[in-house]
Amino acid sequence: MTEQGTTPTEHPPALGIVRFLIAKPEFGPLVLLVLMIVVFTSINPAFASLNNIGNALTFTVELGLIALSMTLLMTAGEFDLSVGSVFGFSPVIMWTFFNAGFLPLPAAFIVALLIAVCIGLVSGLFVTRLGIPSFLVTLGMLLVVRGSALWLTDGFPQRTWDAHDQWLSQVLVGDFYIGGLRIYMSLIWFILLASLSHYFLTRTRFGNWIQATGGNPSAARNRGVPTQRVKVTLFMMSAAMAAFAGIISSIRVSAANPNSGAGYELEVIAMVVIGGTVLTGGRGTIAGTVLGVLILRLMRNGIVLIGVPGLAYNIFIGAIILGMMALHAGLERRHNTGT
Amino acid sequence: MTEAPLVEMHHIEKYYGRVHALRDVNLTIRKGEIVGLLGDNGAGKSTLIKVLSGAVPYTSGEIRIKGKPIVMTSTNDAIDAGIETIYQDSALVPMLSIARNLFLGRELTTGPGFMGRLDQDRMNAVAADLLRRVGISKNIPPTTPIGSLSGGERQAVAIARAMYFDSDLIILDEPTNNLGVAETQGVLRFVREARDTGHSCIFIAHNIHHVFQVVDRMVVMRRGTVVADDLRPATSSIQDVEDVITGEHLAL
Ligand SMILES: Nc1ncnc2c1ncn2[C@@H]1O[C@H](COP(=O)(O)OP(=O)(O)OP(=O)(O)O)[C@@H](O)[C@H]1O
Ligand SMILES: [Mg+2]
Repeated sequence: MTEQGTTPTEHPPALGIVRFLIAKPEFGPLVLLVLMIVVFTSINPAFASLNNIGNALTFTVELGLIALSMTLLMTAGEFDLSVGSVFGFSPVIMWTFFNAGFLPLPAAFIVALLIAVCIGLVSGLFVTRLGIPSFLVTLGMLLVVRGSALWLTDGFPQRTWDAHDQWLSQVLVGDFYIGGLRIYMSLIWFILLASLSHYFLTRTRFGNWIQATGGNPSAARNRGVPTQRVKVTLFMMSAAMAAFAGIISSIRVSAANPNSGAGYELEVIAMVVIGGTVLTGGRGTIAGTVLGVLILRLMRNGIVLIGVPGLAYNIFIGAIILGMMALHAGLERRHNTGT
Repeated sequence: MTEAPLVEMHHIEKYYGRVHALRDVNLTIRKGEIVGLLGDNGAGKSTLIKVLSGAVPYTSGEIRIKGKPIVMTSTNDAIDAGIETIYQDSALVPMLSIARNLFLGRELTTGPGFMGRLDQDRMNAVAADLLRRVGISKNIPPTTPIGSLSGGERQAVAIARAMYFDSDLIILDEPTNNLGVAETQGVLRFVREARDTGHSCIFIAHNIHHVFQVVDRMVVMRRGTVVADDLRPATSSIQDVEDVITGEHLAL
């Protein structure tokens, strides 16, 4: 708290608007996204086709869902490395119960989500009650959960092809057409949950507590904010969201593979920080995260379309992360915009 | 003396593991008085006020508010009992706005429970009004993040919060640390204002000159216990008080 901020002063209106935009953490990612679309489309016009955009959006959703709850968790100053393993584990649980004739699909769905919530609860309690950094706790949890998925299945995928006559799978991943654009239900879920998360973070009392918990935990505690309960709740939401995304994915690809979701945790965290959420907590933006999600997915899609070898993808992602971090660091003080 | 004192602490003991931080501490605060709490580094001042504000549990002893025994298990208990504490470095959240800081943990909402929708307009309006009252309204809208305020302005915001919630007792832990001359005077002025409107204050500072300017009474701690509790600026000199703090007076 050594920096002496500048007090707001009057500017001509036009300059004021520019400053207002630059001060938003979402500004950098928005410019990057627009630039990407322009560049990719000018090199290969197919990039902007309805078909391509529809496809890109579909795959976007599964990681994007996890990124939403990760944004809330990171705003509270913690993160969760176990999301990728829960993404693989939960559908395995659901389909194992269902295929064994143990439970009807909706019940298996609920059970899988509840087990995920318990995983989040355990991570949250380890972090808050024992004071162990979330990096270590969720790394341990990653191994436990992934190991469980592999051990339960002997490493083999669970079949899910009985799914298609189930109403639940229609609700989760069904599709419909708007004009020529094929819309998957999962996209609707993403839009719905993104709007909810945004509202939740910026407009509710709980959202205020999330920001305070990450921004200055002891100040929040001194004001009577239950910071530990806030964090535990967010760990549970994060695991539940990873399970939800994993189940959607398993229905879409017709397989619940115990290995799926490996490495997703890092890609999700990359999406979140590219969007302008701070790794150390205190400031988070759902709008930024949605931009971050789009940037990474369109990048993956775009570099293939313009003929860059797909294997080079990580070079671009790494460069974007580094560039964005530099930008956010440079604008750090302006980002402290409050509400 | 018919009315019970605002706060009474009786035989408070506090151990941090094996560190005996408070030894049989007795302290009384009356309504409308400013008490300076003095003592060298590690004397136990911060520990004492953390106990009184519910931030750390005490090992044994009794706390009474207005004569009634109170169980202090969380900061919410203290806030509900009318005790507002302003910590030097952990009073406010830098990235949140002034208005949100003022209402943190006590947000104005239009819905029930923790899912309640924040009433941003009302909080901003109240905050703007408070800022005017403590004299830092000039050009600073209530939506300004705390992180861009000066140290003195931050103290003012924290004090404004205590005044708004009409706390009976405002505790300030080293509020004048790292402040310039003008800002220090500002903080001291707020403290006097708080007293004039009927609030009691506990004021901790290492700078005895600051303490002498505002307090009615001084309490001195040394190695976890209260060694003097009725020194007054009118009857003691700064040198006298310094001797009590260091234990020099015992040598005489
Ligand atoms: N969390 C803690 N765990 C263990 N010991 C502690 C803790 N907090 C304080 N202490 C010890 O308790 C004693 C009193 O500390 P305290 O912070 O109350 O002193 P203080 O009077 O506020 O000092 P200062 O003027 O330096 O702020 C010290 O010996 C300190 O080391
Ligand atoms: Mg102290």
